[in-house]
Amino acid sequence: MSSTGSSQEPGLNQEGAVTRFFRVTEINPRMLGMVAALILIWCIFDVWSGFINPNEGLFGGSFLTPRNLWTLLVQTSSIAVMSSGMVLLIVMRQLDLSVGSMLSLVAVASAVLQVYQLGPLLGVGHPLIWVAGVALCLALGTGIGAVNGALTAYAKIPAFIVTLGGLIAYKGIAFLLASGETVAPMDQTFEVFGGGVQQSWLGPFWSWTLALVVCAVIIGALINGRRQRTRFNFTLRPVWAEFLLGVVGSGVVLGITKVMNSYPWPPKLIENFAAANNVVIPAGIEDRDGSAICMAAEKFVRCTTGLIYYTGYSLPVLVALAVGLVMTFIATRTVFGRYVYATGGNPEAAELSGINTKWLTIKVFALMGTLVGISSVISSARLNAATNSLGLSNELYVIAATVIGGTSLAGGVGTIYGAMLGALIMQSIISGMSLLNLPAAYQDMVVGGVLVLAVWLDQIYSRRLK
Amino acid sequence: MKNIIKTIALGALLATAIGGVAEAKGKTIAVSWKTFQEERWKGDEAAIKKVVEAAGDKFISTDAQGSAQKQAADIEGLIAQKPDVIMVVAFDSDAILPSIKKISDAGIKSIAYDVQFEDPNALYITFDNVGVGRIMAKEVLKVKDSGNFAFIKGDKGDPNATFLFQGQLEVLKAQMDAGKIKNVCETFTDGWKPDNAQKNMEQCLTSTNNKVDAVLSENDGMASGVVAALKAQGLAGSVPVSGQDGDLAAINRVALGTQTVSVWKNTDDLGKAAANAAIALADGTAVDKIPGVAKFNGGKKKVEMNAILLAPTPITKANIGDAIKAGHITKEQACAGVKDGVDACK
Repeated sequence: MSSTGSSQEPGLNQEGAVTRFFRVTEINPRMLGMVAALILIWCIFDVWSGFINPNEGLFGGSFLTPRNLWTLLVQTSSIAVMSSGMVLLIVMRQLDLSVGSMLSLVAVASAVLQVYQLGPLLGVGHPLIWVAGVALCLALGTGIGAVNGALTAYAKIPAFIVTLGGLIAYKGIAFLLASGETVAPMDQTFEVFGGGVQQSWLGPFWSWTLALVVCAVIIGALINGRRQRTRFNFTLRPVWAEFLLGVVGSGVVLGITKVMNSYPWPPKLIENFAAANNVVIPAGIEDRDGSAICMAAEKFVRCTTGLIYYTGYSLPVLVALAVGLVMTFIATRTVFGRYVYATGGNPEAAELSGINTKWLTIKVFALMGTLVGISSVISSARLNAATNSLGLSNELYVIAATVIGGTSLAGGVGTIYGAMLGALIMQSIISGMSLLNLPAAYQDMVVGGVLVLAVWLDQIYSRRLK
Repeated sequence: MKNIIKTIALGALLATAIGGVAEAKGKTIAVSWKTFQEERWKGDEAAIKKVVEAAGDKFISTDAQGSAQKQAADIEGLIAQKPDVIMVVAFDSDAILPSIKKISDAGIKSIAYDVQFEDPNALYITFDNVGVGRIMAKEVLKVKDSGNFAFIKGDKGDPNATFLFQGQLEVLKAQMDAGKIKNVCETFTDGWKPDNAQKNMEQCLTSTNNKVDAVLSENDGMASGVVAALKAQGLAGSVPVSGQDGDLAAINRVALGTQTVSVWKNTDDLGKAAANAAIALADGTAVDKIPGVAKFNGGKKKVEMNAILLAPTPITKANIGDAIKAGHITKEQACAGVKDGVDACK
């Protein structure tokens, strides 16, 4: 392979096979550890739930079923979106404790606009309603974030205090906006963002198409990367490593897509859809455990073979994935992102080298606010209602996900995909325990324990690297 | 009043009568509120104040702002003003007990308003929460009398969550013992949060492969989460769901058929009943001679207390019209999106 380029190659003779593997493939061992932990957690829950309530999961439980994994991703999406913004804040040595209350406030404001103001004015179902609802969420979120940022940067109040104040105050405003009532139901089109209605499901054809496009992009990126490295005389990965990355990357994408495409529509919805669209339902034999529907003795029944539709990716999950992609691009490929990491690594040096750190602070807080706006659309659409308790204690889950994902509170270090994986691990534990019918108190205990454990393992790992 | 509150306990009505004939003037009734952060307590205060002042008595109150320490200081301050009766909405039902003892020691009568504290000298006035649970179960049983039942309970730290569950089980016990009703999911819901209830319901549907025939949700907010989870499986409307509070959105769901019942506790009536009982106490009526008072020992420590338990009202498809007539909700709000089959919406 290439012999010139990076000068930081450690003593090649002493390194073991594993270290060499991670070095040449450029895979982050930490991320691999998180994925391994995630898979372990999933397997444990599947085996455990199999003892209580045997089902069609991989190990006979109900956790590793397409249905549960599909639901799990939808349940994770709101926290995952917010955690991607929290990464940048924590990297910059800031913190936003107000995201939960902000989510409640933004969601209630948008719901009041949709249900009490525009609904009666334009007539329920008018297309302007959902547009205005979404726009208000994004604008209000961005605005509140910018205020948090301005108070931190220019008034020089520590972010901890500004956003602690926000945590308390925004909750109060959310309460006043609707006098503490639950505002429902949301606009029908708005509801699509929640993933609970069939209009928000991509279906197998488009899910596969999307997956193939993503695979093509992965392979294209690998080829392009190699070309660029050759051009600038950088160290190249061995060819086997490039192939491994391409195959594993595409394999993961196709695998997830396969799972998403194996979750069938709930039978009742198939029945309603067939009735509404004059689809003929084939005759068959009743099987109460089947997911398809058919006709037996003039009645709709569940069957193993018959009429069936599959969901594919749902909109909130796609939104979360898109946010993750865009945020990763912002963090690693833009000047703005570089400044954020530079400021987090050494604020004084960053300021002295000409970075306008105050303006940067406002921008990062505003970006966090925009993401809270997106999350508020997802969570209020999913619940099909908004209340002042909607985002309660979300800030804790968002920060926990970010930290479990490897973002250092000392600043300068953190990845978007890590935080999103952290959110997935946390939601897996919560959903899995709730699947086992364990009380919420145990869920809190375990999530808290995992948070501390993750940071501890991280410390051991980074000490060993030195 | 209106049709909807016909079922309100005898106690409230009789107490009103007593209040009307109260002769002694110039008594003082004090209230120590636990917080005004929740909108409802302002409604309670208005109801109490109106009755007390109409009887020519004086009304004073303090707000503990959600702090047990501040509430203890508040009560000392109230005792210093020498009222005849102090009503307490306890922020913490155990931490309040020393303060209650101080009230009795000063020769002042005390009333536990809505939140129980277990002091045998106090009068406890609340809605019958076990009864709310019973009504929920009864209304759901009318629609579905057998099969797999899911129980979405409230916050684990709130005694009402357990009272409600008790009441539900009382009604369902016979069918459960006979094996006709099976408890397939039973979870507490952190902070009574609708989105937590939605997640719990989703997991319940996943673990049972949608084989859930009825859901007993302990309030309307959580019912909104339950209905959202059912809707995603195309089950909303075919699986009965309970709730309480008379939330406007919940009444709309009842009209739409996605929720079976919302048990409504008219806090205005609670305020009136408490005010009248307080006036009677101030005038020297013995606690157990106040109309509607019965013995109650269903608390944590099983302390026997005198209590007035008001009966709540179930709102179902059949009597939505009453809620509209009572001015609790407008016809437009109740009937939004309702196509047919509900008389009140025609």
